[in-house]
Amino acid sequence: MAKTKLEEINRNIYDIKNKDEYDFKIKKGLTKEIIEEISKQKNDPDWMREFRLKALDVYNKLELPTWGPDISELNMDEIATYVRPKTGLSNSWEDVPEDIKSTFDKLGIPEAEKRSLAGVGAQYDSEVVYHSMKEDLIKQGVVYTDMETAVREYPDLVRDHFMKCVPVNDHKFVALHGAVWSGGSFVYVPKGVKVDIPLQSYFRLNSPESGQFEHTLIIVDEGASLHFIEGCSAPKYNKVNLHAGCVELYVKDNAYLRYSTIENWSKNMLNLNTKKAIVGKNAQVDWVTGSFGSKISMLYPMSILNGEGAKTEYTGISFAGKGQNLDNGFKVVHNAENTSSLVNAKSISKNGGKCTYRSLVRINEKAKNSKSSVSCESLMLDDISISDTIPVNDIRTDEVEFSHEAKIGKISDKTIFYLMSRGLSEEDAKAMIVRGFAYPISKELPVEYAVEMNNLINLELDGAIG
Amino acid sequence: MELLKLNETPVRTSRNFNINNIKLENISIPQEINNFNNMQVYGDESKVIIDNQNTKLNLTYGLGDFFTNQVSNNANKKIKIVIDKKVNKEIEIDFKFDKENNDLIDNIEIVAEEQAKGTVIIKYVTDKNIQAFHNGVIRLLAKKNSKVNIIVANLMNELSNNFMSIENKFEDESKVNYTIVDFGGKNSITNYFSDLEGELSDNKLSTIYLGKDNQLFDLNYIGELRGKKSNIDIEVQGALKDNAKKHFKGTIDFKKGCKKATGNENEDCMLLSDTAKSLALPMLLCSEEDVEGNHSSSAGKVGEKELFYIMSRGFELKEAMKLMVRAKFNKILDNIKNEDLKNEILDSIDKILD
Amino acid sequence: MCVGANSIRPQMIILKDLLKIKIICNNKKKGLGIMLLEINDLCVNAEDKEILKGINLKINKGEIHVIMGPNGSGKTTTANAILNNPAYTKIGGNIIFDGQDITHEKTDEIARKGVFMSFQLPEEIPGVSVTNFLKYAKNKVTGEPVKIFAFKEELKKYMEELNMNPKYMERSLNVGFSGGEKKKNEILQMLVLNPKLAILDETDSGLDVDAIKTVSKGIEMFKNENNAVLIITHNTKILHSLKVDYVHVLVNGKIVKTGTQELAKEIEENGYSKYKN
Repeated sequence: MAKTKLEEINRNIYDIKNKDEYDFKIKKGLTKEIIEEISKQKNDPDWMREFRLKALDVYNKLELPTWGPDISELNMDEIATYVRPKTGLSNSWEDVPEDIKSTFDKLGIPEAEKRSLAGVGAQYDSEVVYHSMKEDLIKQGVVYTDMETAVREYPDLVRDHFMKCVPVNDHKFVALHGAVWSGGSFVYVPKGVKVDIPLQSYFRLNSPESGQFEHTLIIVDEGASLHFIEGCSAPKYNKVNLHAGCVELYVKDNAYLRYSTIENWSKNMLNLNTKKAIVGKNAQVDWVTGSFGSKISMLYPMSILNGEGAKTEYTGISFAGKGQNLDNGFKVVHNAENTSSLVNAKSISKNGGKCTYRSLVRINEKAKNSKSSVSCESLMLDDISISDTIPVNDIRTDEVEFSHEAKIGKISDKTIFYLMSRGLSEEDAKAMIVRGFAYPISKELPVEYAVEMNNLINLELDGAIG
Repeated sequence: MELLKLNETPVRTSRNFNINNIKLENISIPQEINNFNNMQVYGDESKVIIDNQNTKLNLTYGLGDFFTNQVSNNANKKIKIVIDKKVNKEIEIDFKFDKENNDLIDNIEIVAEEQAKGTVIIKYVTDKNIQAFHNGVIRLLAKKNSKVNIIVANLMNELSNNFMSIENKFEDESKVNYTIVDFGGKNSITNYFSDLEGELSDNKLSTIYLGKDNQLFDLNYIGELRGKKSNIDIEVQGALKDNAKKHFKGTIDFKKGCKKATGNENEDCMLLSDTAKSLALPMLLCSEEDVEGNHSSSAGKVGEKELFYIMSRGFELKEAMKLMVRAKFNKILDNIKNEDLKNEILDSIDKILD
Repeated sequence: MCVGANSIRPQMIILKDLLKIKIICNNKKKGLGIMLLEINDLCVNAEDKEILKGINLKINKGEIHVIMGPNGSGKTTTANAILNNPAYTKIGGNIIFDGQDITHEKTDEIARKGVFMSFQLPEEIPGVSVTNFLKYAKNKVTGEPVKIFAFKEELKKYMEELNMNPKYMERSLNVGFSGGEKKKNEILQMLVLNPKLAILDETDSGLDVDAIKTVSKGIEMFKNENNAVLIITHNTKILHSLKVDYVHVLVNGKIVKTGTQELAKEIEENGYSKYKN
């Protein structure tokens, strides 16, 4: 009897605590006032302030996805705390947790990049690259700036394109993004200008609040070309654990854009990013994606082939380790004649990690003579991990060539024996096979990123690091 | 008329992809079920029990509660087929829909005893201009070392509705070949589930479908591999003309413990008109390391080169098309040893393509 | 257990003695005779099936040995057992290499001690180039850093000798290689890794006359008085362009006869039927 009573008392105390926290969170919930406050701080023009408020309405109406990884741990009432500027974010290298620091040491990330990890001084190192390029390209009219500046300095371009490619009602996190977006990059490449050196947007954590909802808007005008590398090259350490960025790419007629990403967020991150490209006549967009970090990732870059003869290629790899659920993939919609898409997706699951390849290929009625070819390969490195392939193929007309292939399996014992007979240890043999497996993706990356990716694979395969 | 939502996939994906389930409107479901008398049994009749008592269903998947309950509670045909070592002829059950026998709710249980071998054919045909309704369940238990061939032929007309659930349980070293011919029905909705829990159990599923006008096919095939060295092969070949539409949802699920299991899935859709539509979701789910899974899926029109070649030999376009479709189906039709049935199917192909 | 081995032991002792005599003769001729590999009463199962039923074999430095036998006699099993492929289970006997018992050593350790095996069906490794692979393997085998420029030169030289297209250096290991190219690539690896003992498993099968000559040339380039070669084959083609010291006939998991090049000739004429029962 006495025991029961004690438990009851304890539970009461617990309940009170809970209630307190709940009240506290309600205050922090996402409200009109908070959005207006953000808008004010950002110095938004009226249209942007109204846009944010409209997005908030949509956000409140939409439901969470009914499919994919379980994101119930994400407390939507706490979104405000993600949004608000937090002075508590660490500014010094010393504050970065030990395990992440040692990972960086092993990666051999230069001291300069280490500093930028905490969001201080990062700009300096990126700026140098940035300016040296800008000097060269500015004469040709190339614009590369942060999103806030673009809203002020290029109002018409931004207004015509901002969240037109990714509409706010796409899904709940896009609506959230529309309401609270902050930071990000804006690129405009004028007609016919070929940008030879890739533009690299390293982690542009200029001010703490710009990290999680950054907006990237790239317009490659007719006949122009660009290679853009997204700045998650080094893992960021973020106190908050939701990333809901948005990338909008406009590739006009005869233009070319390659968008590369190496994503290695810290492993407490929910990465719910949305990326889309609208591709014009005879234009091409290529996506190269390596996904290593995050606790949960739901990322499906999308190409909308609107122009005749438009092309897209997707080359992606996901590597899920302990506690990770990487639900990645690609979507393509063929809306015009003679369009083509080529997909090469790979995944590696290890140590209880889960990889899902989720995709859509839709060839619409108008897309006569279109071609689509998809290949997925999944590697299971142990028997506690999971690997799923969930591709939707929606073919709505007959004059198409569509094929899809997928494979799941482990590294064959024969292959391991072959390599071991040449003097490689079992671990070395496996690492070599995995690196080879990832090679089609790493070869698409600039050298320093490819080297980093191989280092990441070695790190992930090294038992010493979780 | 209410909206029916049925045939859910084992794993959900984005609602915008319209493939998690199938939604049907204006399906007239018979409220009162009359007797169904136009049934014929051929072959080894002694193995067929016409009034089976084991009718309560507890399906893992099925098409949804409504359809499963209807078969469980209101079946007008309750049949049990026992394949034992003494079976010497293939068993064929023909259901023929006509004016008096319009609605069939059949509950078929097949038990293949240990070491037994046998073939079962189940055929559904309709008289012209009949609007038939079929809702059926086939349950199969393949005991140790049994070898069974099952052929299900849906040769109904395109005014009718066909709903079908199949569930198979596999004991050690059992081997089951299923051949499904899916031609009929305004809507033809099939759920197929194999639970391969026996070691070295093996399931081959071969399906051909052929649609015209506004026919809709929804195929939801699920193979769960649990037994060591178990195997499933799913082969689906189909052709669609006019405004016909097909949803193929194929899942091969490697469950934990199915060491050295293998699974292959191949789905190929021939589009014979620019308004025909093919939606496919070939899933591979895997939570075991030492397995091999492959799937491939393709869609497109008849190869123009082949067509030209055949026409250059004097065939007119329609004949050439027929030839191409037949050629595509031939490998699967070879599973059917019963020549009468095979000819009936070939005739149907010709009629649909005319 | 290894019953078969016990029952044939008396015969094997006679064989061993015969071998010793020949080895002594050999020593006189070449002044060598340091034992490199010694296999004693080796019994091996593959997938619970008894394949090797008591093999005895001695190879000295400076020698070329051939194991011949019909399909299914246990030739490939012998090669795999020496490198301790985990797919094969040793149930009796031991293997001494260079004075050390390697019977249960891990494959990579055996390789680093100086045993090389050319595979009948070399594995394809997508995404790993021939150069990178060999550089890495060389580093593992020698334990020393590999100087890239000198290494590439060496590789080029060997490839020329083996009539290999230098473009293969940058291609993924064995991916899309023809049967002959794969076999040459195995010989290339042997030359680069420079082992003490090279086991060539069916390296000559499926090759045309020119390719066999190239392979023989590779073996001659490799061969010196401090290493040895064990050729495993079911036909005698390679023996036309290569001089060997000993020929062993393996039938049904046992070595039933040992002789010189003459023995190979006899088998070429009469086949294995004589030895089958």
